[in-house]
Amino acid sequence: MYALADCNNFFVSCERVFRPDLDGKPVIVLSSNDGCAVARSNEAKALGIPMGAPLFKIKDIVKANNVQVFSSNFALYGDMSRRVQEVLRTYSPCVEHYSIDEAFLDLRGMEGIDFQAYAREISAMCRKLTRIPVSVGIAPTKTLAKIASKLCKQYPKLQGGCFMYRPQDVEKVLRKYPVGDVWGIGRRSQKKLQNMGIQTAWDYVQIPEEAVRKLFALPGYRTWKELKGIPCIEFEDMVEPKQSICVSRSFAKEITDSATLCEQVANFADSAASKLRKQGSLALEMYVFVMTNRFKENAPQANAGICIPFPDATADYRTVILAAIDGCRRVFRPGFGYKKAGVIFSKLIQAEDFTRSIFEDEEAAFKEAKLSGAIDSINRSFGEGSVLFGSQGDDKIKVANEHSSPHYTTLWTDIPSVKI
Amino acid sequence: MEPIQITDTQSFESAFMGDVKAGFPSPAEDMREKLDIVKLLVRHSASTFFFRVDGVSMVDADMDEGDILIVDRAVDPYNGCKAVCFIDGEYTVKRVEIGERGAVLMPCNENSTRYKPIPVGPDNDFLIWGVVTWIIKKA
Repeated sequence: MYALADCNNFFVSCERVFRPDLDGKPVIVLSSNDGCAVARSNEAKALGIPMGAPLFKIKDIVKANNVQVFSSNFALYGDMSRRVQEVLRTYSPCVEHYSIDEAFLDLRGMEGIDFQAYAREISAMCRKLTRIPVSVGIAPTKTLAKIASKLCKQYPKLQGGCFMYRPQDVEKVLRKYPVGDVWGIGRRSQKKLQNMGIQTAWDYVQIPEEAVRKLFALPGYRTWKELKGIPCIEFEDMVEPKQSICVSRSFAKEITDSATLCEQVANFADSAASKLRKQGSLALEMYVFVMTNRFKENAPQANAGICIPFPDATADYRTVILAAIDGCRRVFRPGFGYKKAGVIFSKLIQAEDFTRSIFEDEEAAFKEAKLSGAIDSINRSFGEGSVLFGSQGDDKIKVANEHSSPHYTTLWTDIPSVKI
Repeated sequence: MEPIQITDTQSFESAFMGDVKAGFPSPAEDMREKLDIVKLLVRHSASTFFFRVDGVSMVDADMDEGDILIVDRAVDPYNGCKAVCFIDGEYTVKRVEIGERGAVLMPCNENSTRYKPIPVGPDNDFLIWGVVTWIIKKA
């Protein structure tokens, strides 16, 4: 059996951890830079606030219903996620961190225990220890476990835990489950399915095996088997190094001059390089992009990007920052207001697999590596951003987060104060 | 014997320290234990949180202005526990007396008449947020 533990409205639940007064009240969390609603409490959903709604479009609902609005507080969400994962790890030695608010538990070998009670206990324990409500679905495959966890949200009577395994129960659920909501059914397949008149997950499993393989290729076939209760999606409790690394941000105010934009891009290159180094990778390619404000329909737009190949795979701060600045200068056009920019590293290889080209100056490369290593260790000891290159500028442009809650669990200056 | 160039202190250390083969090996070589204050104070890292004290209703329980309270949600509330409570929209810390007729929040400040026991009734919006396990104070 497999379990999926899914935190309910995770960002909202994190905001409620230290604010029990917000239990039962409408709450939303905005995307970085306070753009759109990315998390909604059940009460906010009931008010008709759609996922991804820009704040200015829902201002009236927010005001009329006293909806509590928060900026994203990723320090808090990251720490609460860590806490929930720690609780989950006491219920299975193999936990796959699927996302910030979801984890799979491998329960193979535990057959014979009361899985319904187990699911409820995991949910109750997460709630008790962290105050985060969690929906736990247990089923013979990961895909079915995901569906089972969704049921917990629909039916409060399940008390946060649902064990779904009897064929007749699975059939009953799948007959009502929209095929588009099944894990692994992409948007492209959805159109194809619609044309075929396939609406529910049950319709999908009725497609003959040969046809599924032909029409939906291997991923679609795997989903089909999983829905039939045959596990075939690997359990991944080992973290694979990422294939690309992106750091991008929206700016609170539009940037119109090249120097400021380059400083920002240099900062993004710096933090992307730091991520790259943490997973032990080197990049062969970097992509720098800049974007104007797409919400301003009448303003001139100048989205642009440039791909910069590195002659030798690299993760050196100096090399990538210089390349990023060079790229930014080349795509920048005066007269436009830039709202967002970013840096993406792609074509990553693991450092230990890397053979240097014969043309490279070995001594220079050695020096660069030493410098980057020293920067890493200083920033590890004294906090990110302790050492910067001159090109990064010293005052970072703040992103808008005027509704942010304190960093309750990650900064001593922000721990909650109790009037006693 | 070749002279070696010392390029950084780390390799210098690993080259010349710890692994010295000459002489009698230190009997303490394998003893790398040290006291970790976090291990003592934080039994469950998933459920341990910190709060700062603001107010004087609990001075007799050694909770003074500015102290840091360590709160562990894994500890079940027990009669007489000191706990961070949330009552009618506000936080407080009190000694919780749990009796047959419900809970009473007891202040601990003999010298002040300002603080009275707070009986918790069915009309109160009440929850025990977490039990205080340690008080950190500056000497």
